[in-house]
Amino acid sequence: MIRAHQLAGFTLLAPALLGAQAVQNATLRRAQQAYDNLEYRQVLTLAPAALRERLTGPERARAYELLGFTYGAMDSILKAVDAFKQVVLIDPERQLDPNRVSPKAYSAFDVALRQVLLVRQLRIDSTSFVGGQGALPIRFTVTQPARVVTRAVGSDGSFLIDSGAWNGQVNLTWPARLANGDPVPAGSYTVVVDARLGQNAFSASQAVRLSHGLVDTLTHLTSLPGYQSLPETEVPPQSWRPLGLAFLFTGGALVGTLGLESSSLGSGSKRELAVVGGAALVTGFVMTLRKPAPRPASANILYNHLLRDQIARRNQEITKENVARRQQVQLTIVPLAKPAAGGAR
Amino acid sequence: MRATAVAAAVLALGSGAAPAQEITIGPQVVLASYREVVSRLRYSGIGFGGAMSVRFHKLSAEAAVTRVKLDTTDGSAATTGFTATQVDAWVAYDLASYASLEVGVVRRSADPELDAQSVGAVRVGARSFYEIGPGATVLFHADYLVAPKFSGGGSASFSLDLGLGLDVRLAGRLRGTAAYAFQRINRKTNPGGTGEIDAPIQETVARVGLALGF
Repeated sequence: MIRAHQLAGFTLLAPALLGAQAVQNATLRRAQQAYDNLEYRQVLTLAPAALRERLTGPERARAYELLGFTYGAMDSILKAVDAFKQVVLIDPERQLDPNRVSPKAYSAFDVALRQVLLVRQLRIDSTSFVGGQGALPIRFTVTQPARVVTRAVGSDGSFLIDSGAWNGQVNLTWPARLANGDPVPAGSYTVVVDARLGQNAFSASQAVRLSHGLVDTLTHLTSLPGYQSLPETEVPPQSWRPLGLAFLFTGGALVGTLGLESSSLGSGSKRELAVVGGAALVTGFVMTLRKPAPRPASANILYNHLLRDQIARRNQEITKENVARRQQVQLTIVPLAKPAAGGAR
Repeated sequence: MRATAVAAAVLALGSGAAPAQEITIGPQVVLASYREVVSRLRYSGIGFGGAMSVRFHKLSAEAAVTRVKLDTTDGSAATTGFTATQVDAWVAYDLASYASLEVGVVRRSADPELDAQSVGAVRVGARSFYEIGPGATVLFHADYLVAPKFSGGGSASFSLDLGLGLDVRLAGRLRGTAAYAFQRINRKTNPGGTGEIDAPIQETVARVGLALGF
């Protein structure tokens, strides 16, 4: 009971949503109202009557859609499928939301899609790449197995993108290059997808603008990320070493003097040694109290040398890379706002 | 031999670095003591002098001139003093950041000439230096005096000169210098062919002064 009620609700809701756009034709409005009131027989009278009148494309699609939903509600699936075929032929991009329409109507719509050759949902995203190192992605859906030819048509000629047998979702890429490898000229292009199956054919297209630009060059490095230069001098810890060395040198002079003094000449005056040795000891003591002088940190110097070498090597590579980049072209392809409408031929 | 051992021990120590290029020049006050032949023949005095040094990477050179009026000391057998003028010059080559080999000359003359021995010799030796603080270097040298010549004749098979030095940067280019040298010459003479007798010479000199570095 609940399920039947939900289905009825779906069936009611879908056309109402689809009819949200303003309908000018009075007969079609009445058909819509009859459908909203579950007066299906009246819909089957009013909708065909509206189709015999002068309608816009969207109104015609809506009239067939009302018929499709009504036949679906009345379990006339074949007729519903026929009505939905007319809908997708008029508006190939028409899509039903499976959460908002009845399963019967949705399955009838799905069957209709499979019975008509269409190229739907042609999508081209904005992209930018270096000529020869990228490609423009193109995707679309073919509803039946068909021979599909995709081309880019511009003022300078037509460039074949792909030719093959496809069915369902298709993903292609266009490198936008000429046969000699050069990028295609800048300008407006139309990506045209032609699908053919026997006598049936369908075409969809999307206009794009292709522009040329300079390839960004790389800036030279002044440092390597994660690596920093280290200080090339270090202050050794304060120690008694200066005084100790002054003692050692003075002691050496004293020992040498005492050891070399001639026994026949006797012990000489130590006044001279006292003056100079005293000065050395005082200097050593003062230097012990002073902050030691910075000294070269050989490990850090070596590390910085290696770091500078690495940066220089990387910058040489960047220079070469920039020379190559200045000879390249940056291609930017942007789809134009209004996609061209496709149609059966 | 003991002096050589001391010199070797000092050479093994230290790791100070000397500047790459530098010239220093400045005056010095000189203290000196002098003994000759016997212990009673002794003099001491004070004088003045000057020194100049040059360094170019591993090469360095120094020349010092001193003039000291040496007077007899208490208990000396000498009756008059004399004036000693001494010239020291050497050239050194750094073997390491703390040691160098040196060769030079030393000449000391006495005035009046016969009051003391005048000496001239070639010196060959080594020195060790170490930076004990910012701008402060202490050094020790030991030299062998080769073939010394004396105004009164004679010869010396063993002659040594050792010393202590100090160089301190006082402010900017101004530096304080101090040097001590002990010289021992085992002079022997043979007056009238009667046989060799010892006539040793021993001198200590201290030079303290200022210098400008460039």
